[in-house]
Amino acid sequence: MLTAVIHLQGAGWHASSSGTASTSPATGSDAPATSEATTGTEEHVPAGDLTKPGPIVPEMKELAWGAGSFIVLAVLMRWFLFPRLKRSMDARYQGIQADHAAAESARQAARTEVADYEAQVAAIRAEANQVVDAARNEVEAERQAKVAALQASLGEQRSAAAAEAEAARQAAQSQIAAAVGDVAGRAGELATGRRPADDVVSRVVSEVMAR
Amino acid sequence: MLAESFKFPLINSILRWKDLFSTFNKVAMIAVAASLIGIVVFLLAGSKDGSKAPKGVRNLAESTVEFIENGIVMQTMGKDGLGWTPFLLSLFVFIYLCNAPGIIPILQMPATARMAIPLFLALLVWVVYNGVGFKHQGVKYLTHTIWPPGVPTMLKPLVGLIEFVSNIIVRPFSLTVRLFANMLAGHILLVTFALLTQSLITAETKQFMLKPMAILPFFMLVFLTAFEVLVAFLQAYIFTILTAVYIGGAAHPEH
Amino acid sequence: MEALAHLAAASLTGDETKKAYAALSSGFAYGLAAIGPGIGIGYLVGKSVEAMARQPEAAGMVRTTMFLGIAFTEALALIGFVVFILVGL
Repeated sequence: MLTAVIHLQGAGWHASSSGTASTSPATGSDAPATSEATTGTEEHVPAGDLTKPGPIVPEMKELAWGAGSFIVLAVLMRWFLFPRLKRSMDARYQGIQADHAAAESARQAARTEVADYEAQVAAIRAEANQVVDAARNEVEAERQAKVAALQASLGEQRSAAAAEAEAARQAAQSQIAAAVGDVAGRAGELATGRRPADDVVSRVVSEVMAR
Repeated sequence: MLAESFKFPLINSILRWKDLFSTFNKVAMIAVAASLIGIVVFLLAGSKDGSKAPKGVRNLAESTVEFIENGIVMQTMGKDGLGWTPFLLSLFVFIYLCNAPGIIPILQMPATARMAIPLFLALLVWVVYNGVGFKHQGVKYLTHTIWPPGVPTMLKPLVGLIEFVSNIIVRPFSLTVRLFANMLAGHILLVTFALLTQSLITAETKQFMLKPMAILPFFMLVFLTAFEVLVAFLQAYIFTILTAVYIGGAAHPEH
Repeated sequence: MEALAHLAAASLTGDETKKAYAALSSGFAYGLAAIGPGIGIGYLVGKSVEAMARQPEAAGMVRTTMFLGIAFTEALALIGFVVFILVGL
């Protein structure tokens, strides 16, 4: 765990007085400066590799290696790695875009087809309604005609019957009047010895009967 | 009272490393490794079949690219800046991979906690954005930078001085120091709490409560390690987005 | 406490005095440098959260600007930290 090298001796500040530091464990197997003088009694930093370049002075070898590796990475990325990746990414995106467009156009086509179908259905329905209406009108007219004819024949029959009845009644009445006139004439003849005139008798009879 | 006082090691002893060979040390190794890891990840990602939904290493690379494009370029430079994506992408990847070893066990050293790499990157960015400014605006770039449009004539000397110092001198300095000091501070904090834990455990004392108390700095160490994960990402992000802002500002002064 | 007493009791050489003052002033340098940015970052992030809560659809832009502001504000504290490193350690 502790690769951050522990170098407990001969360093920096420490608060306790001397004499205890010699028991320090000095771990850190990969300590960079194990060759340091590490006598515990020494108060000051052992000069040498550890203090010479300050902690923020860049080291030339690190700079050179870092620069070289970054430039290699950047150049490869610019001219080779990135374009290759990007090309296939773009191809895939365009494929997906094309698929999307195809799906969209298919949806449009389906939508127009549905609209067509609906228009056709509406036309057929209108036609059917028309036919039904016509048939209904026809039937209605026929019915009307039949009813009228029936009513006409009924009226005819009724008036014929009425006329027949009237004729019969007239005949009966005239027969009755004749009979009554005859009887009345005979009765007058018997009473007065003189036969009354026929026209007077019949007038009287019809007056009485009309009463 | 500890039987033995706690002494913080010299700052260089936690930052400088034995040379692996005379021109190569651990920080250089981390830098090279960062570059190599970036190259390998993007190489693998590029060689995968791109027509299917991305997964694994390709997903990682593509989400990084999209993060740079949508989170950095589009937010600061707009559509014109998309050509800068490879540069910003390599900056981000490199800085992140240099930061990350600060919390990786065994390595435990952010390469950016040394001055060299932040300094180089900041100088490179300085050269790049000034170059972009001169390329896009010619000599007018200098006057635009020193006197933003709309400054009254009376104030020009003062504003010119302030703007020159802040744009030309302070910018690379603050870029360097921000990255360097953040990572160094994190590293020192980790070292401090690791050392506290260790010295409490190994303390030669008669007070029996002292050794179990090592759990407290250890918890702090764990918490700080988690915090450093965030810092490593955040510093790479901030360095990259500031680069984008500077380049965008140099290319289009009105923003 | 013991350290201070020790410092006071010991007759320090010029070099040691210098070191003692360096340690003291480096502590002050970082402590003072942390005050302003602490307040500034707190204020900045608080306002950003307010803005994001008011307009969640602008959250991405606010977040980007917030990080930029944090970066600029934090630089002061970091310069204090560098001074601390330079003077104290």
